[in-house]
Amino acid sequence: MPALLQISEPGESRAKEACTTGAVGIDLGTTNSLIAIVLGDGKPHALAVDEGSTLLPSVVHYGEGGGPGSVVVGQAARRLAAEFPRDTIVSVKRFMGRSSADPETRRLSPYRFAEGESGVVRFVVDGARVVNPVEVSAEVLRALRTRAEDRLGIKVNQAVITVPAYFDDAQRQATKEAGRLAGLEVLRLLNEPTAAALAYGLDKRSQGMFAVYDLGGGTFDISILQLQQGVFEVKAVGGDSALGGDDFDRALAEILLDGQERTPRKVREAIDAAKRAKEDLTRVEITEALGRRVTRAQLEAAIAPLIEKTGGSSRRALRDAGVPDGKGLDGVILVGGSTRVRAVRRYVRELFGMEPLADIDPDEVVALGAAVQADLLTSESPQHDVLLLDVAPLSLGLETMGGLVEKLILRNTTIPARATQEFTTFADGQTGMDIHVLQGERELVQDNRSLAKFTLSGIPPLPAGLARVAVTFQVDADGILSVTAREQLTGVSQTITVKPSHGLTDEEIERMLLASIEHAEEDVQARLLIDNRVEAQRILKAAEKQLDSNGDLLSADERRQIEAQMAAVRTAAQGTDHTAIHGEIEKLDRVSADFAKRVMDRGIERALKGHSVGEFDQGELSPHAKKAYEALRED
Amino acid sequence: MSARTCWSCGSELAAGDALCPSCAKVQPPAPTGAGPDKFALLGLEPSFDEPPGLDEKFRALSRKLHPDRFARATPRERRYSLEQTTLLNDAYKTVKDPVRRAEHLLALRGIKVEPKMSPEFLEQTLEDREKLLEAKMSGEPLDPLAAAVREKRDRTLSQVRELVENGGDLAQAAELLARMRYYARYLDEVEGRPVEI
Repeated sequence: MPALLQISEPGESRAKEACTTGAVGIDLGTTNSLIAIVLGDGKPHALAVDEGSTLLPSVVHYGEGGGPGSVVVGQAARRLAAEFPRDTIVSVKRFMGRSSADPETRRLSPYRFAEGESGVVRFVVDGARVVNPVEVSAEVLRALRTRAEDRLGIKVNQAVITVPAYFDDAQRQATKEAGRLAGLEVLRLLNEPTAAALAYGLDKRSQGMFAVYDLGGGTFDISILQLQQGVFEVKAVGGDSALGGDDFDRALAEILLDGQERTPRKVREAIDAAKRAKEDLTRVEITEALGRRVTRAQLEAAIAPLIEKTGGSSRRALRDAGVPDGKGLDGVILVGGSTRVRAVRRYVRELFGMEPLADIDPDEVVALGAAVQADLLTSESPQHDVLLLDVAPLSLGLETMGGLVEKLILRNTTIPARATQEFTTFADGQTGMDIHVLQGERELVQDNRSLAKFTLSGIPPLPAGLARVAVTFQVDADGILSVTAREQLTGVSQTITVKPSHGLTDEEIERMLLASIEHAEEDVQARLLIDNRVEAQRILKAAEKQLDSNGDLLSADERRQIEAQMAAVRTAAQGTDHTAIHGEIEKLDRVSADFAKRVMDRGIERALKGHSVGEFDQGELSPHAKKAYEALRED
Repeated sequence: MSARTCWSCGSELAAGDALCPSCAKVQPPAPTGAGPDKFALLGLEPSFDEPPGLDEKFRALSRKLHPDRFARATPRERRYSLEQTTLLNDAYKTVKDPVRRAEHLLALRGIKVEPKMSPEFLEQTLEDREKLLEAKMSGEPLDPLAAAVREKRDRTLSQVRELVENGGDLAQAAELLARMRYYARYLDEVEGRPVEI
């Protein structure tokens, strides 16, 4: 890398001046991490920070191999992993923002976890030392920072750190905290695909619509972005959690293991051999693994169904962005090591109808884009003049009656964003209101992620429906949410910044997102069921009330008929068939129509005698009854 | 209304100024009584159709007001930038979307679009939904149903335009506009079905 050699020469002040701000871009990856900076040539450069490589394995080893109390990071730590599996933390990113109560936490690893207070995951390493994922990530960041400082000969104190587009509040906050612990001011958290697009968009000096196809070891991300007039807008994001290069390795390992006895050790060896063979096959047609001949054609046949799974979310994102079928797309950017597989490139070419861009190293592109953003945020005259507009990756909403979610800010809304919704009390004299904040796409509360719960108290006691509470959601430019609830009459208000004690992983968020699409039909059914049940309760209550106060208008036989139908509604409402409930409600409407008319007549009679028609309580009526009522009034 | 002045240099500000014309400092959003004119916020005239140059105006203003432009500014400026950008994003979302835009246009003329439907329309909606449910259960193709509702939606929107642009009954326009939500929800339900394999 010539530019780097240049600046290690004493007296090369031009390059030094250009990066005196010491603002870097960091890709804090699951497997590898990178650090990059914009130098005097105006271009971002990834720095060689680990045994001559720009890739620093995100592996941290505590004590043992390096001596008690020591910390080893990178390749050296990776080499110690086999011997000291419990003292060597790999893929710590998977634990960021995750709760120790999460069963997934234990499934992931051979580590010892500290017992005690719930909340954050804590590893026991090097004897009795206890560290949490934020501290482990901070070690990786610190290694990147100090090695970059050695390399550049300047202080590095500000950074843009990238996160997966689907990282939620907890994971973003945890990442920021890790940066701070490592002695870095985190200027901005930047979504990984956005960073990649930034690196390419500026490199190509082009305008237009780009797709970023990011296939890593365990996840697939797709983003559609538009660059116009120096503004980079994220148009849509999507992805598939359980899909990545690791699945390719497993598919190939299946072939290697064919007919063999499967011990854990054999499986491990087969997966490692498969990974190496997969890498070989990006260059050659035939290779060897575990003494077997493996051809590229074999690999491609094994992974074809996996690759095709990226098509669904890609097409959906294209549609969300308003470029269905990729018509009007100006470029497809490849990110992630798994995009080196030839069959993947071929598939991408067919899917988007164009040759994908891969001239920037797919491992480095994210860090390079982050470096560009760091330069944009800190330079008096940045090398490129461009603004990034990002979106909220998941919808944000509130719990409402019946366990349903009311969305306030929809997925893919440009941030910063604000939304306000008014709610009212449902009981007479109600003085408190529970506010339950949720993230996700599903219709039912239980299927979304709960971000926070709080109670607004001090509402003046008023009849139901009179108090008005305005709930406001504000999402800032880092994607962090704050919620305010305010009672309109008295001005009583309460604000919280949502800081959940544990977060979802990107996989979970993606899974939820995909589930919302898979379960859309189910959700519609569930909503219809709840709607009909609420409706049933309402009409039963209204009928009871009328039987109570106007029962004298009915013959014993008529009353029996109505009561029998009420019982039928009640029974149906206990079942799960919404059409049945609906049907019984309609029957009750019909059976009691005559009664309703008589009640109306009495109401009008009374009104003529000086009472008001308003006494007839419309609020208690079902829409059907209301319609009947309105029809009667028009008579 | 008393004139606004710049918090930094004291210069007088025009109603729509997000940045001080003399010292270029970012300003807090102007207090608005009945709610801001989102067209004006973007420097545009109110119109039923998408105003020409909307995207360009939005991008140009974003470049001036976005929090990224204030990464090294004082906390006060950062706060104003956040507020201005939040309003800008909302204004853009409103003016970009045909239904929100029409609703806002009516709001500016003092007409609120309320979700109150005539019984006939509700009945029609119920019928449409029942047909949709039946079709879903029996596995009939949904496209013809969606096409019919889409056509109703488009017809309704052009009726609204007719009323708004030719000085017609705005209350009636509001009532027609309220129907758009029902159409949108219906179409969402049709499309809620996974379309990809």
